[in-house]
Amino acid sequence: MTPQQLQQSIDALLDGQLSEADFLTLEAELSVNPQARQIYLQRIELDQLLSDNYRSDAGDKRDQETTPATRVATSAGPPRMVSRTLLLTILAAAACLLFATTLAWQILGNGSQDLAAGIPSTASEERSAIGFAVLSGQAQAVWKDQSLKKGQLIPSGIQHLQAGLIQLELFSGVQLVIQGDASFAIESPMQVRLLHGKARALVPEAAHGFQLLTSEGQVVDLGTEFSVEVDHSGTQVEVLEGEVELHPNVGEMKNLITGQRLLVDQAGQVSNQPGQPISVVGPKEMQNRLAKQQNQRLERWQNSVNELLQDPRLLGHYSLDGQLGYSRVLPNGVLNQQVRHEIPPIEKLSRKSVASQGAIVAAQRDADRWGRDQSSLDFSPVGSRVRVLVPGEHNALTLMCWVKINSLDRMYNSLFLTDGHEVGEPHWQILADGRLFFSIKPDDQDKMTRDQRQQQIYHSPPFWDTSLSGKWIMLCTVYDPDQQQVTHYFNGDAISQHPIPDHLIIKQIKIGAASICNWSEPMYRTDPTFVVRNLNGSIDEFAIFDAPLSGQEVKQLYQSGNPYLPLSND
Amino acid sequence: MPNAPAPSPNDQPDGQSPHDGRFVALLTECQTQLRMYVRALMPGEQNAADVIQQTNATIWEKRNSFEFGTNFTAWAFAIARYEVLNERKRQARSNSLQFSTELAETIAAELDSDQFSSKAEQLQYSKREALKHCVGALDEQQQQLLEDRYRNEQRLSELAQTLQRPVGSLKVSLHRIRQRLAKCIELRLANMGDH
Repeated sequence: MTPQQLQQSIDALLDGQLSEADFLTLEAELSVNPQARQIYLQRIELDQLLSDNYRSDAGDKRDQETTPATRVATSAGPPRMVSRTLLLTILAAAACLLFATTLAWQILGNGSQDLAAGIPSTASEERSAIGFAVLSGQAQAVWKDQSLKKGQLIPSGIQHLQAGLIQLELFSGVQLVIQGDASFAIESPMQVRLLHGKARALVPEAAHGFQLLTSEGQVVDLGTEFSVEVDHSGTQVEVLEGEVELHPNVGEMKNLITGQRLLVDQAGQVSNQPGQPISVVGPKEMQNRLAKQQNQRLERWQNSVNELLQDPRLLGHYSLDGQLGYSRVLPNGVLNQQVRHEIPPIEKLSRKSVASQGAIVAAQRDADRWGRDQSSLDFSPVGSRVRVLVPGEHNALTLMCWVKINSLDRMYNSLFLTDGHEVGEPHWQILADGRLFFSIKPDDQDKMTRDQRQQQIYHSPPFWDTSLSGKWIMLCTVYDPDQQQVTHYFNGDAISQHPIPDHLIIKQIKIGAASICNWSEPMYRTDPTFVVRNLNGSIDEFAIFDAPLSGQEVKQLYQSGNPYLPLSND
Repeated sequence: MPNAPAPSPNDQPDGQSPHDGRFVALLTECQTQLRMYVRALMPGEQNAADVIQQTNATIWEKRNSFEFGTNFTAWAFAIARYEVLNERKRQARSNSLQFSTELAETIAAELDSDQFSSKAEQLQYSKREALKHCVGALDEQQQQLLEDRYRNEQRLSELAQTLQRPVGSLKVSLHRIRQRLAKCIELRLANMGDH
């Protein structure tokens, strides 16, 4: 080959115009001839320079703006600018990667803020994430390499689903159901590669032109719902509604309309497929199945609540439980239970007291942890609270709630506090640093030293990190004077246990007028200024017991109320 | 890319290992070669840029397994080759042409020279400037064709449709333009050396 022929060949290769035969000739020449390789590398370098020149507009502008500096640099020695740009590129790439890892970690729920320390400072300005699609649901899914969770971004590269069904929502709006055994890669919001397995796509108007690629060709959507199955015999395409274009690697493009089904085999032969339709559930059916699962969880929780309401230790159980409407009453299920079943007097007597209904102030209704509209209370509007009255004196106390916290942006973030803070009254809140705070005011506090006063506050270690923001969690604190201990629970697990010193044991716990998710100074005061302590978050279940629940019981409450817990048939 | 000021190579943000600075320096030095290597292994392929990015990410991820004192470029090239193969597998496309492993290794060895290294910053910089000048010297139609071809990394077949010109004619035009640019850059660099 002459240098001229060689350059011609290389250019054809760069422009995607080299035949396979000519490619083999070029490869042979490059393998044996060092001069040819030199020419090849020079051409690649030119190609690279051209690509850089046209693809970095921003870079161009920067160059122009810094022309004087560049000139100085050129005359005074090597310009630093180029290497800085490169350095930034690398750091940005590295930071993106680290962030992706951190994000995946946090989504999996294992995250701690310590991880953030690994992110180079250049990238800490603005959060970014990597991915084109979110896993919006899965049923009986078995992943080969890494188990993906609902809500997680699909990582780049090939994913292998060994069994089960998953639903993906691409950022383009395309909904995709994939049935295992399947491998696929999300290459862009508009392009998915299916190596094998079955998929069904529902493409909204905004995503017309969505492409599904297989080894036999590509399916281009023209506004439709379609299924694709890839196996050893080739690619089968079936249009359920609308129209698609099928572009086989070999041969001509075919248009398919509703009801049509074609098979492209590995040789590129296209044939009509009169056999069985591709069986994969559509996104709508998938949603129904997922909703059914959630309904099963909801039902399990409702059953357990009904059982709980029979528990004589229960003073109050607050939940809107799907009651729609504009009522500003947060019902105490214990009272409703009494009305409904007319509890026999003996049982009524066994309850020392029952808490009142709750009065909702300022808090807005929002979706609850089962996804039902208007069934939780969002306490973020200023002044939000639920007012309750809990009469009587109690020997012990258990407080439990399901809460979704947006952020801990106050010094004190209220969960349940009595008005003011009188002797024998409990305060339950979360500190800004993520620690649970529980205290019952002892009767001779005023005579105590500062240190002694601190002893009556039981702090858990921090349970909070920002990855929990917006997620439903269960918090519980048990005050047990008989065992002389306070236990804090997070999602059913004890996170700390604290001995109660002898002089601080209180067996006459009083609550009286109190607020859920806020703190009220005594109501007869006339000063309109107040401290901001309302929780920036929502609650959809709140319970008070006048007895210490065991660790086992708390665990059970968590399990029966966990909206994320897999069902046995998941 | 974040809008942050360029960090000096001496910056040691909290939480980074003390070796990270050295590592970034090595990675920076071999960027030009790394990018050329990936492009040399996947000539004319549109997703070369993605593979380069992925390669950098993988190199960063594996930074703890690199032994300082050994040949960084060779190590990075091995990762790049692996990423190219990965991309090939991902494409699962029968029509993509691929060099033999032996040739890929030979090219790696030859690229691992100062001629293409970012260490020769001045040279790299001169090449960029020379290219800019030489592109400016082309006629308008040729400049437009280059822009269409490189700004959007368009395939020739797509370009042919847009411009309503036969693919063959575009192929010849691009070849002539590259020949001219190569000559022009060579002359310009040689002249600069004289001064």
